[in-house]
Amino acid sequence: MTITRYGALLDAVRGVRWPARHAVSSAVVGAHHSRTRGTSAEFTEYRLYRQGDDPRRLDWRLLARSDRAYIRLANDRAVLPTMILLDTSASMAYPILSRLKWIHAQNLSVGLSAVAHAEGDPVGVALHDARGHVRVLPPRTRRSVVDEIARVVDAADPDGLEPLAPVLAALRAPRIVIVTDMLGDSDDMLRAARVHIVGGGEVHLAHVVAEEELEPPRRTLLAADPELPGVQRLLADASRRDYQNAFGEWRAEIARLWRAAGAAYTEVVTDEPASHAVRRIAGGVGVAS
Amino acid sequence: MSWLLPSALGVGAAALIGLVAVHFIARSRPIAEPLPTARFIPERAIRARTRSYALSDIVLLLLRALAIVAICAAVAAPAFSTTHGRTARVIVADRSRDVASIGEVRDSVRALARAGDVIVPLDSAASRRVRATDSLVQSDARGSLSAGFAEAMRAGAELARANDSLELIVVSPFAREEIDHATARIRAAWPGRVRLVRVAPRPIASAGTVPRVEIRADTNDAVAAGLALAGFVSTDGAATVRVVRDKLTTADSAWATASGHVLVHWPVAEADADWPTRRTIDAIGGVVSTSGVLVARLPRLWVLNGTAIARWADGEIAAMERPTGGGCIRHVGVLIDESSDVTLRPPFRDFARGLLAPCGGDATFAVADSTTLISLGGAGPLAPAAQLRDDGTRSRWTPWLLAFGALVLIAELAVRRGPARTT
Repeated sequence: MTITRYGALLDAVRGVRWPARHAVSSAVVGAHHSRTRGTSAEFTEYRLYRQGDDPRRLDWRLLARSDRAYIRLANDRAVLPTMILLDTSASMAYPILSRLKWIHAQNLSVGLSAVAHAEGDPVGVALHDARGHVRVLPPRTRRSVVDEIARVVDAADPDGLEPLAPVLAALRAPRIVIVTDMLGDSDDMLRAARVHIVGGGEVHLAHVVAEEELEPPRRTLLAADPELPGVQRLLADASRRDYQNAFGEWRAEIARLWRAAGAAYTEVVTDEPASHAVRRIAGGVGVAS
Repeated sequence: MSWLLPSALGVGAAALIGLVAVHFIARSRPIAEPLPTARFIPERAIRARTRSYALSDIVLLLLRALAIVAICAAVAAPAFSTTHGRTARVIVADRSRDVASIGEVRDSVRALARAGDVIVPLDSAASRRVRATDSLVQSDARGSLSAGFAEAMRAGAELARANDSLELIVVSPFAREEIDHATARIRAAWPGRVRLVRVAPRPIASAGTVPRVEIRADTNDAVAAGLALAGFVSTDGAATVRVVRDKLTTADSAWATASGHVLVHWPVAEADADWPTRRTIDAIGGVVSTSGVLVARLPRLWVLNGTAIARWADGEIAAMERPTGGGCIRHVGVLIDESSDVTLRPPFRDFARGLLAPCGGDATFAVADSTTLISLGGAGPLAPAAQLRDDGTRSRWTPWLLAFGALVLIAELAVRRGPARTT
């Protein structure tokens, strides 16, 4: 079973809470605060009865004692459907032999799915499969959904050049988690994410960075970009510092732009255990339960 | 082992040095490795030294060097000889009329020849070979060293198959008439020194020897009268020289092919000869033969080209000789005025003697000068058999070496197309 590969990870993330960043608007009862005030048992405040209010919400005892008509207000709870958007571009298959970046992205996808599923939220996944077609597993709450997501993720192969932005724009789930190295169509993705956030959704960006990208080999090498065949640059001692500075500035700019757009940005380096990364992503700024 | 084209080995060595140099220069370009974040590396020229040399690069270098060695060795064409140290001889034995005594030639050849040597008899041609010296018989034909050298080359090519080196020995008087314009060039084709063994030449005819002449002319012909007065005309029918004062006939030409016959065509008038005429007819004050000078006012009508036996005072050819089989035909372009008494004077007798001399002239029986003999002999080692073999341009190892080189190149291609190769 595919799920056995992720057994240790799923054990490690058990009990992790992943609250919504904002109150959600959903009719289905769940674990997240809802924007609507309803009839749940969790009392919040009284409000004067206004014409049109449901008379069943009147606090009859208070009316009897004070002869004033008040209705009871309570916070509703709702589910937050979550979609994991996994980048399967060729740049994710790095380093060539170990593919740590891709393995880390798979672990993050499955771990976050498990956390969302444990919250009672529907969870699904979207990615480009081995043939370059978009594969979407819609958000589900059934028990086997994490296993299904693990199967889809394991079947994928990171060797494509397909853009993520169109897929992101087509997703309708309120919470979208993008697991990517941002070396593809990052500008288009940012635009699509802004639209989603403005529409009331929330976006989490898990920026996966390989340790070897931060500290490339000390020897002189001719670096070839797997997604840009014409790009070949010489990485030597003299250019190593410039490379690290440029790469660091780019990551900082990515983080700044996505945070400014209202997304939750988390940089994940491959030397960090996946369970820790899942906790950091899920444990970001949320609405107190 | 020897090489048919040793210079190819030098070219191969230079190519090897160049290969090693180019290989290490090319290796200074680093191996391309994927790095997704390569776009953040500052752009600059991709040239840098690297100290990493993969094992596969050394394998490539070895394969390429092996291919060069194989191909150059194939071009150099190795030859493995099993005849090391064997020397054979080609003995050219002169039996022409230039030899005074064929017995002396036989003795010389007998003293030189060993088992396995080839004896090439030489006269005007040299196409037959003899095994025994006793079969050498003197010929009346004029000798030709050019023919002798050419046949020696053919005989040498046959002997080269079973010998390591060859010696060419020429037993001859080396008379001047045996040497022509082609002799030096044909001799140069023999790739080694030539041993010259001189035998006594035929004695030079003395100046007092009287030619035996028959004349076909009018009864009042001045030349006929002069020759008769000089005592050259033979009446016993044993003449070896025929002087024709009118047009030549087929019978005349046939007669001239006999050995030792001299046909002198000395026309009386322009109509008796079909030689090319001069653009302008002039007169000159004298003509010189090999035996005398005739001083007279003589008209000059024809242009003659060939071996000169008489010349005008300005050097132009007045009479020429053309060999025909064993004899020769002479054209004499000296018109004698019928009313002149120049033929009755002693200078005409001396002048005419040269025109009536045996073919080649008396003087050609003289031995060639020392410079000519030295150039014929040459210097240096004996002729290597490899340079005389008929199959000297081929080596049975060449196709195998070429095939091996091709296989190595295919292997090099396979190694080069392996993973992560940029060289």
